Amino acid sequence: MVRILLRFSEEQVSQPIASQIIIEYKVPMVILSSHVNSKGGEILAEIPDEAQEKVVKAFREKGVSVTVPKLIEVDSEKCFSCGSCVALCPVEAIKMEKDFSVKFEKEKCLGSTCSICVDACPARAIKSIKQNGSPNSKERKS
Amino acid sequence: MSKGKTRTVEEINEKILKGDAQVLTAEEMKKLVESSGVEVAFKEVDVVTTGTFGAMCSSGAVINLGHSDPPIKIDKAWMNDVEVCHPGAAVDLFVGATNMSEKQPFEYGGGHVIQDLVAGEEVELRATAYGTDCYPRTSVKTTLTKDDLNQFYLLNFRNCYQRYNCAVNSSDETIYTYMSKLLPRFRNATFSGAGELNPLMNDPDYETIGMGTRIFLGGAQGYVIGEGTQHSPKNLNGTLMVKGDAKKMSPDFLQGASFTRYGTTLYVGLGIPIPILNEGLAKKTAIRDSEILTDIVDYSVPRRDRPKFGQVSYKELKSGSIIVNGKKVRASSLSSLKMAKKVSSTLKSWIAEGSFLLTSPIERLPNDSIFKPMRQTEEIPFVVSVMHPAITCTEDEEIRAIAERIVTKSVNHIVVVDEACKLRGIVTSWDITRAMAEGKKALADIESRNVITAKPDEPLEIASKRMAQHNISALPVIDIERKVLGIITSEDVSKLLGRQKAW
Repeated sequence: MVRILLRFSEEQVSQPIASQIIIEYKVPMVILSSHVNSKGGEILAEIPDEAQEKVVKAFREKGVSVTVPKLIEVDSEKCFSCGSCVALCPVEAIKMEKDFSVKFEKEKCLGSTCSICVDACPARAIKSIKQNGSPNSKERKS
Repeated sequence: MSKGKTRTVEEINEKILKGDAQVLTAEEMKKLVESSGVEVAFKEVDVVTTGTFGAMCSSGAVINLGHSDPPIKIDKAWMNDVEVCHPGAAVDLFVGATNMSEKQPFEYGGGHVIQDLVAGEEVELRATAYGTDCYPRTSVKTTLTKDDLNQFYLLNFRNCYQRYNCAVNSSDETIYTYMSKLLPRFRNATFSGAGELNPLMNDPDYETIGMGTRIFLGGAQGYVIGEGTQHSPKNLNGTLMVKGDAKKMSPDFLQGASFTRYGTTLYVGLGIPIPILNEGLAKKTAIRDSEILTDIVDYSVPRRDRPKFGQVSYKELKSGSIIVNGKKVRASSLSSLKMAKKVSSTLKSWIAEGSFLLTSPIERLPNDSIFKPMRQTEEIPFVVSVMHPAITCTEDEEIRAIAERIVTKSVNHIVVVDEACKLRGIVTSWDITRAMAEGKKALADIESRNVITAKPDEPLEIASKRMAQHNISALPVIDIERKVLGIITSEDVSKLLGRQKAW
């Protein structure tokens, strides 16, 4: 699975762009987070790797800004489970276990669209990394 | 074995050597006292092992390099580009945990140098000197590992804080502190310390911990050499000064760390065995997190005495959320409770296998001293000392009326407030001029809503820097509820500067 961040303008938000693309390409899309109102907004979604190229192209053709955000990776060798990051995570992707080990759930993490934990790690164990095979060179700056 | 109501350290050591000593971790002891009571716990348990693993900034290492040929009397020195100091003669150095690399400041520092040396890695040394008849050399550059050093001792002035504050941030901006990243408006809280596992909390009258006490330090045996700096036993903020042979330590229990925009430090694993000499100690080692309270402190106020929002227990803190001002706030630990437990269980295994014997302190720690603030011969000005009443308006007023007020009151800034006198925005004489030129009538079209503000108890220097940073000439002064208390302008600052020589 690969994560894509879609940014809709005020004009685009009133059109059923996402649903059209989902139907047209028969692509399953998991919405991970969504902040959308009548003035536009952002959707972070997950799609199968093989669908990435055509789906990204389709959204861009309709004028939607698409970026492939980086993922967050925790170096378990460096992490000494202080827990400094735990309360910062807005989606509870980082949890303190009963035995006080810090557990990171990659599937829940919003990736570089959030990154709130990265500079709070005293062990510098949290890093932003590129998604596998993602066309990051095509990333547009927000 | 003693059958009375007490036992001695010597008796315990005999049992340790025979392999008969009953050793529990602090965690296990609490459960035993809860299930079987103090009397049984005292009868059954000889030693309770405690532990903590946290950022301890007042840590460092003493190093002796041996002499170069020709010899050098070091004036300045760097290890992996971290400046280290030369507190003594020719080739003695002290690596302070918070000294930062000149090439990678805030990311690599003295704490990392210590960890790298402990891990057996090679470290680059550079040193310069002025040259004397007896020490002619003026510079040296070499690489070293811990095996090349004559002495490499961890020497920490202040470790093992008995308990520590819980930090929050009431301001509108994220702040980066030694209590880590604090999100605006109480969006998170951080705390430090092991609570019921902390060594001093398990012996709060310092009956068994004092000068000469053998301890677990950084994965090896170390010693308490006295009270730590800022030792403040009366309010349960005791600290320890400790030393130990760093060559024998482990990088798992000594870890360099970086706090963004604060600097570098060293995480230290420290554990102390408490000999259960009497029932009183059995009872004290049963202390629970729910009984250990600490202050919730607002770190957004850059003062020595920061505002507090009541107290919270370590039990609440460790649960992951606390209540501040009636609101639920998520809390994270900065010290590692997992590692604290590992310290106490490792120490337990050392004692159980007979490789660690207990000591009696040769001198007790002070239990009545207080930590004094700095004597200052010069006071610095605060916002409150120059702030004056703000000229205000409300959003329903016409621009013309506001323009008149600017003239009659002869000011450049009008603060926009609501009916409760809370800050809504700011309008400057420039905004008014532009509105006139462009024919705008509504205040809403010209007022700035994103107002940069000051707090009354901030140092004036900090407020003044904020004005310069944002290229503005006034800051409304507001309280925590955003009520407007007054205003300070760059004129106020320059007037004060004219009167004072320096801050």
